[in-house]
Parts: sequence; structure tokens; C-alpha cells
Amino acid sequence: MREKKVIPTNMQAARQLAEELLDEAPFKGYSEPALFAIRLALEEGLANAIKHGNKSDPGKSITVCAEVDDDQATITITDEGEGFEPGVIPDPTVDENLEKPCGRGIMLMRSYMDKVEFNERGNEVRLIKRRA
Amino acid sequence: MTVAGRQPFRLDVAREGNAAVVRVSGSVTITEADQLREALENLAAEHAPVMVLDLANMDFICSLGLGAIISGHLKCRHHRGQVRLVHPQPPVRELLETTRLTKLFGIYDSVAQALPET
Repeated sequence: MREKKVIPTNMQAARQLAEELLDEAPFKGYSEPALFAIRLALEEGLANAIKHGNKSDPGKSITVCAEVDDDQATITITDEGEGFEPGVIPDPTVDENLEKPCGRGIMLMRSYMDKVEFNERGNEVRLIKRRA
Repeated sequence: MTVAGRQPFRLDVAREGNAAVVRVSGSVTITEADQLREALENLAAEHAPVMVLDLANMDFICSLGLGAIISGHLKCRHHRGQVRLVHPQPPVRELLETTRLTKLFGIYDSVAQALPET
């Protein structure tokens, strides 16, 4: 299954897309922990694209490409923002950052997915979860 | 087909003595996190010494939802109050451990254990 969707920059549209993708994609054989991870990473990637990428600009859109087969799920999320440098994001798990209400999205994507890649500009993230 | 939970979000608030008990059910996704934050901050403004979050029926939470709980914790701390978490489901518990929020919040097996001694 390969699918591409373009959504406006808002949380409701992102939520709907996530629900549709999780309903429609052929996740047969994927474990519950794997599905939890995919759902989490998808939500984190979409939230980042809305808030930090497109800065909640309703005039911008987000493109999501999903490819799911028996071996792995690959989800690519692209925003229209200026991009960022993933290496400069503070570690949210160190003591001095534990009480910060935000800043955990990228760490969670990296913790739960098998592979997380950003393009050079930093406005696109590619998330991969293997079935087994 | 149910994928990784996805039950409807619901909040129920009760009072146990001077503690507030918030039962969080279903999924806290990017569209429910603000609602959770608002509810917890409003409860914290009532200066309850302990805010107990019963997570037994919460099947999913994203980082924005975790941020909502932290916002409630920060508001509670203004009056030396505490947020205590009860019985998170295994995937949520793992999420709390991955983020090291288990260091910030006490995690209890039951609401009764989480309530302050009278």
C-alpha cells in the first residue's frame, strides 16, 4: 500500500489523517507495540510539522506519504517551513529539562521507530518501523 | 479494527477528601491535549494538595498530552501540591519511563494508595 495525502496546517486535519492511515493501511501482522510506536511517531511528526515547521500558518500545507507492506511501514512527513537542525534539540530526558512541557517529540520518534531521518533542509522527516 | 487502543477521550473528576481525582480514559492525542491541560490547570488553581490522575483506562498519550500533565504539575507546585499517577497501562508506563517522567511523578498501583493520608 502506498498513499500520499496533503492536509492543511491544523491539529484536527492531522488527527483525521492519522486515524485514516491507521484504519486503512494493511497493518496485519504488526504487533500492538509496533502499532503504538507508529501511531506515536506519526502524531509527533504531524505536531512538529504544524507547530514548528509551518508555525500554525493556515496558508501552508503538510504532505504525508505512507508506504506499508509486510516488512515495514515508512511514513514521510513534509512541511513548508524553513527547516531546522535536529542535532541542536536539547535532550528532554536530562534532569534540568524534565519539567519542560514540550520538546519530547523527536526523542520519542527516535526511541520508538527503527529509523528516523531528516532531509538536509530539516523540513521533512522519514519514519520507518519494521514489522518484526 | 482497533489499532493501538484508540478509544474515545474522556475526563471524569471526583473529590476524595481534599484531593482531586481525575480519571483519564481513552486516547490523549494532539487534539485532546489542550483539553487535558486546561482541566488540570483549572483543578490546580483550586489548590488541592494532591491531584491524582487515574490512568488505568488511558490507552495512548502523545508528547503534547505529557506536556499537559507537566503543566498541571507546575501549577500544583505553586501551592506545594503534587500530581500523582495511578496504574498506567504498560505502553503508557513505558512512555513515562522513556521520557524519564517517572522521576518527576509518583506512580501508584491504585487511587487509594495515591490519596494523601488523613
